[in-house]
Amino acid sequence: MINFQQVSKTYPGGHRALEKVNFHIKPGELAFLTGHSGAGKSTLLKLISLMERPSAGNVFINGIDLNKVNSRQIPYARRDIGIIFQNHRLLERYTVFDNVALPLIIEGTHRNQIAKRVHGALDKVGLIDKVKCHPSMLSGGEQQRVGIARAIVNSPPILLADEPTGNLDPELSMEILKLFEDFNKHGTTVLIATHDLGLVARMKYRSLTLKDGRMLEDPLAQGAL
Amino acid sequence: MSLLFKSRQNKNEKQKKSFISNGYFFIVNIFRQGIHSLGEMWRTPLASMMTIAVLGLSLTLPATLYLVVKNVQQVSSGFEEASEISLFVKQTMTEQETATLVKRLALYPEVESVTFISKQQALKEFQEVSGFGQALEYLDSNPLPDVVLVTPTKRHRQPNAAKVLLTKLEAEREVDFGKLDIAWLERLNALLGLLKESVITITLLLLTSVTLIIGNTIRLSIMDKKEEIQVMKLVGATNTFIHAPFLWTGIWYGVIGGLFAFISVALMMWWLSSAVNSVAGVYQTNFLLIGLTLSEFGFLVLLATSLGFVGSYLSVNRYIKEIEPDKV
Repeated sequence: MINFQQVSKTYPGGHRALEKVNFHIKPGELAFLTGHSGAGKSTLLKLISLMERPSAGNVFINGIDLNKVNSRQIPYARRDIGIIFQNHRLLERYTVFDNVALPLIIEGTHRNQIAKRVHGALDKVGLIDKVKCHPSMLSGGEQQRVGIARAIVNSPPILLADEPTGNLDPELSMEILKLFEDFNKHGTTVLIATHDLGLVARMKYRSLTLKDGRMLEDPLAQGAL
Repeated sequence: MSLLFKSRQNKNEKQKKSFISNGYFFIVNIFRQGIHSLGEMWRTPLASMMTIAVLGLSLTLPATLYLVVKNVQQVSSGFEEASEISLFVKQTMTEQETATLVKRLALYPEVESVTFISKQQALKEFQEVSGFGQALEYLDSNPLPDVVLVTPTKRHRQPNAAKVLLTKLEAEREVDFGKLDIAWLERLNALLGLLKESVITITLLLLTSVTLIIGNTIRLSIMDKKEEIQVMKLVGATNTFIHAPFLWTGIWYGVIGGLFAFISVALMMWWLSSAVNSVAGVYQTNFLLIGLTLSEFGFLVLLATSLGFVGSYLSVNRYIKEIEPDKV
C-alpha cells in the first residue's frame, strides 16, 4: 500500500531530514511512526501526502510512483488520503458540519449525500449533537474528533495522523486511538506519527522508528524491497 | 475523481451520471458559488460597501466626462446645422444674369434653399442697422454687391463638405467670391477633439485604478483566508475550486460598483438639469441634458464586471498558487 524505496529528503539549505528510508505498509495495516522531535516523522508524512517531493528514491502508493504524479494531479491524489493534524486545522468561520463536509464539497458530492455522510462520520466520532457548533465552542478532544471525522468522511483508503494525541490527556488519547483502531478494522490503512512510546506499547501494533532521518528497525522493509 | 485507487473511483461512481446531468451540476455549482460569495460580502457589509463606493466613484468620473462630451456634441451639432454660404455676385452682372444664377443654384443637389439679397436691399438694411444712413447718401453709386445666401442640405453642412461646396459654387461665372464662416466651428471641433482625448486618457487611468483596487482587495482577502486555502488544498481542492469564490467576489464588486456609478450619474443629471434649464431659458433655447441610454448603462455595468473579473483573476492567479500547505 505505502512503499518507500531508498527515500532521502534534503531541504534547501542542506538539512537532511530523511536518508535512504525503506519500509512497506500493507493494505489494511495499522502502524505507528515514532521518533524524537526532528527525527523526520513529519517529513515522511509530507512525502506521502505530496506536500514535499523526495530528493532521491521513490514513494509508491498502491503501486503508483508519486514522483510521476504531476502538480495538476496532486489534489486528486490527496483525496485518497485522510490527514489528521495535532492542531486540528479546523476552519473557525465554519460550523462542525461545514468543516466535515469540506472534502465532499470539493469532490462534488450531491447535497443529500453530503448530509448523510457528514452525519455518519460525526456519529462515528460521537459528535452528532455538535453539528451546528463552531470549533471554538468545543473542547480539545472534541476538536480532534471533528478533525478525524473530516479525514474519514470520504472514506479514504489511507489515514495519516501526525501527533493526533499530542495535546490530549491519556484517557482522551486512548479514546482517539480506539477510533483509529475501529477505522482500521473496516479496512483503512492507518499510519500514526507519535512520540508517545507508552501509548504505542499499549496498542501492540507495528512500530516504525526514525532516528536522525534513518529508519531504525523495520523487519518488513526488506520483504517490501 | 480518485487518482491512486482506481477501484475506489469505480465504487464511488457506480451511479454514472449523464453528460447533461454533469453539465447541469457544473453550472448549478458555479452559480451556487456565486451566491455564496455574495453572502460572504454581505457578512462584512462595511468593508464591502467601502470597496464598492470607491469603485463606483472611480467609474462615475469617466461616465460623467463621457456625458459632458456627449452633451457638448449635441450643442455643437446644432451650430453646425446653421452653417450658410454667402456668394457675392460680380458687380458687372446684369439683373437677368443674377436671376439665372439664383435659379441654377437652387437646382444643385447639395443645396437646400437659396435666398437672394439685391444690392439695393442690402444698402437699405445697412443704412438702417449701421447708423451711417446720411453719410451713405453722399455716395455716387451703391458699392454693395448682390448676395446669394445658400443653405446646404443636411449632409453638406459639415465643415469639410461645406468647404467643398463653397469651392464648387465659387467656380460659377457670375460669382465674385464666396464666404463660409466656419473658423469658429473648426475651433470648437478641435476643442471637442481635445476634450475627447482627455476623457479617453482619464478613463483609461481610472479603469486601470479600478482593476488594481479590485486586485488588491482580492489579494487581502486571499491573505486573510490563507489558512483556509491551505486546508482546502490538503483535503484535495483544485486551484479552480479555490479560485472560484474570489473570482465571483471580483465580479460582484464590478456589478455593484457599475450600478453605483449609474445611480450616481443619474442623480447628478437630475441635480444639474434644473440649473441647465435656467441657463437655456436665459438664452431662449430649449436645451435638455442627455443622460445614459439603456445600452450605455448595460455597457457601463458590463465594463465594470469585466474589470472586476480581470482584477480578481490577476490576484488569484498570482497569490493562490503561492499558498501551499507547509505543515502537517
